[in-house]
Amino acid sequence: MRIGFPRALYYFDHFPFWAGFFHRLGIEVVTSPATHRQIMEQGLKKASDETCLPLKLLAGHIQALKDVDWIFLPRIVSVEADTYTCPKFLGIPESLLPAVPPGMPVLTVTLNWRKGKRQVLKDLEGLGVQLGKSSSDVRKALNEGLEWQKRYQDSMGAGWDFEESIREIGRAAKDLTESAKVPTLVTWKERMFAKMSSTALKRTAEFPIVDQNRDRLRIALVGHSYLTHESYANLNLLRKLREKAKVELVQNVNQEEVKTNLFGLRKKLFWSHSKQIFGAGNKFVADQSVDGIIYLTCFGCGTDSMVQELVSRKAREQHKPYMVVTLDEHSGEAGLVTRLEAFLDMVERRRVHEGYVSTYGECLDRNSNAL
Amino acid sequence: MLVDDKYFLGVDVGSVSTNMVLLRPDNTVKEALYLRTQGRPMQIIQEGIKLLRSKIGKSAEIMGVGATGSARQLAATLLGADVVKNEITAHAVAASRVNPQVQTILEIGGQDSKIIILRDGVVSDFAMNTVCAAGTGSFLDQQASRLGIKIEEFGPLALEAKNPVRIAGRCSVFAESDMIHKQQLGHSLPDILAGLCQAMVRNYLNNVGKNKDIKGPIFFQGGVAANPGICKAFEEELGQPIIVPENYDVMGALGAAYLAQEKVGSRPGTRTRFRGLDLGETRFLAKSFDCTGCANRCEVVEITQDGRSLARWGDRCGKWSVAGVADTAISGLEQKEEQRGA
Repeated sequence: MRIGFPRALYYFDHFPFWAGFFHRLGIEVVTSPATHRQIMEQGLKKASDETCLPLKLLAGHIQALKDVDWIFLPRIVSVEADTYTCPKFLGIPESLLPAVPPGMPVLTVTLNWRKGKRQVLKDLEGLGVQLGKSSSDVRKALNEGLEWQKRYQDSMGAGWDFEESIREIGRAAKDLTESAKVPTLVTWKERMFAKMSSTALKRTAEFPIVDQNRDRLRIALVGHSYLTHESYANLNLLRKLREKAKVELVQNVNQEEVKTNLFGLRKKLFWSHSKQIFGAGNKFVADQSVDGIIYLTCFGCGTDSMVQELVSRKAREQHKPYMVVTLDEHSGEAGLVTRLEAFLDMVERRRVHEGYVSTYGECLDRNSNAL
Repeated sequence: MLVDDKYFLGVDVGSVSTNMVLLRPDNTVKEALYLRTQGRPMQIIQEGIKLLRSKIGKSAEIMGVGATGSARQLAATLLGADVVKNEITAHAVAASRVNPQVQTILEIGGQDSKIIILRDGVVSDFAMNTVCAAGTGSFLDQQASRLGIKIEEFGPLALEAKNPVRIAGRCSVFAESDMIHKQQLGHSLPDILAGLCQAMVRNYLNNVGKNKDIKGPIFFQGGVAANPGICKAFEEELGQPIIVPENYDVMGALGAAYLAQEKVGSRPGTRTRFRGLDLGETRFLAKSFDCTGCANRCEVVEITQDGRSLARWGDRCGKWSVAGVADTAISGLEQKEEQRGA
């Protein structure tokens, strides 16, 4: 039995959970390939014209799933107490049925975590019936999924790489021969220490850790995970940015920090992603070591239309360099590169001008405005 | 006289115009060219170089080259540029050199418009138009030709307006139908033109200038700054004087020249990578092909000079593209070809 899992939207946040869940049930999960031109084009054809780019991509990925018995399109209503996911998530799978190849059965389940784990288990048991699995199997699978998800989230830190950790999960999910085993996702700290030689370790113990990369710019890339990690749609923004600066992501900010940074709002934010983005954005605005913030959004994003404005106001108050990059399906690379270069130039020059320590002596010449 | 014969070259290849500036070491402008790109950037760059050569003579020496504009990569490849910079930085550098006090730059070009906020000579904020070209030079061009007037007459005519009509400036398509409507009602041409100027300025300030702290002195540069009607509309809307600098139409190129001067001039002993003033005589060719390596089918562009490959770009994965434009790039390419052949 093979279940097709499109590599879009909630894939970027919750794939580990589902990978663990189905792994425990002994069901193979097949993901669609990374986005390429054809997937994008197929998605644009089949999805509603008025929806957002990530949903169009999902439509493309659904069609890219080959040799599967089902396509899995869960309706994730909420992932935690007090919030909901974006309304467009709630419209899945119905809003995407036109994209499903004729004759291909769709497997779905409605999950509403704000109602508690017990309710989720009940709903998953319903899914289990369709798959011919017993309640106790489903309960074990749920716990397995949660374990995988927790491991995955714990691994997010400064050195965390999305592609790398998701690959490990994909590998573990495929391996059905071995008895159910949680993928060995080491945390970024463990990885860093593993890489360091013992002498280097000693050195860090002797000297207080000074950030050696201080000369490099630190740029926070704020936005939905399915945009910041969708390297085809965002024209490799993350990689381009990493070539020139140290990048902070929303995913690197843990829940506690997000919670403490949700101030200045008259009401709670409804949407879980927006809450994460706003809290992390606030943290980056206040963080002196972050030199600038890039907000990545896309046309047609309803929640960003508000949250982007909120973050931009915070940034303006604090005079933090801030830029919005808006993606759509026709984005030309030249426009993005120009904006990115100009932004990094600006940040660099402002940092020099505002009297940070710099190694570029010639930049301190006030008459020259160049690097 | 030897000193006078040394120049820095700044090149700004935009969608509509290709500009070149020759800067003397004492920061004065020797020569400024404003050419129409006409969709053939490579030929126009070569023509520009020929023109410059005819003006400065054979003994002249180019000490450094800076490239900017949307075709800066292409220009840098052809010329062998020492600095390749985005338009925003180039414009900001030029303006703050011309007047270090400048705090706001309004720049409207052929296909894009931007606002740059400077504080103490440093860019502190900027914005570019997103998907809409409603407020740019191309639109004005198009409307002028529809009304049967030369673009040069546009501004002076707009200044004659007594009662500018109100035109919706949100979208160029609606603006056009609005203009036709007003024209059919019998409004005078100057009133319609002035109304269009006001609509364009409103659109610019609402889109590009949104949330920006516009303080004087304000520079207005780019090709559209030649239009006094737009200048007047900006002054009325902002309630502040607008300064159009002397070389307003080639400020990007001027900035690129300054950047080249800084890059090369600050380090004695560095030599320019400029390919020589005789490059106007060589043959550049651009080829493009679809890479079949994966499903992305990237369109790769290759630039060759007299049959020699200079650079490639357009691919997502980096299999074909070569960073940089110097000789190392060429050898890198050959190496790559060898690897593929093996």
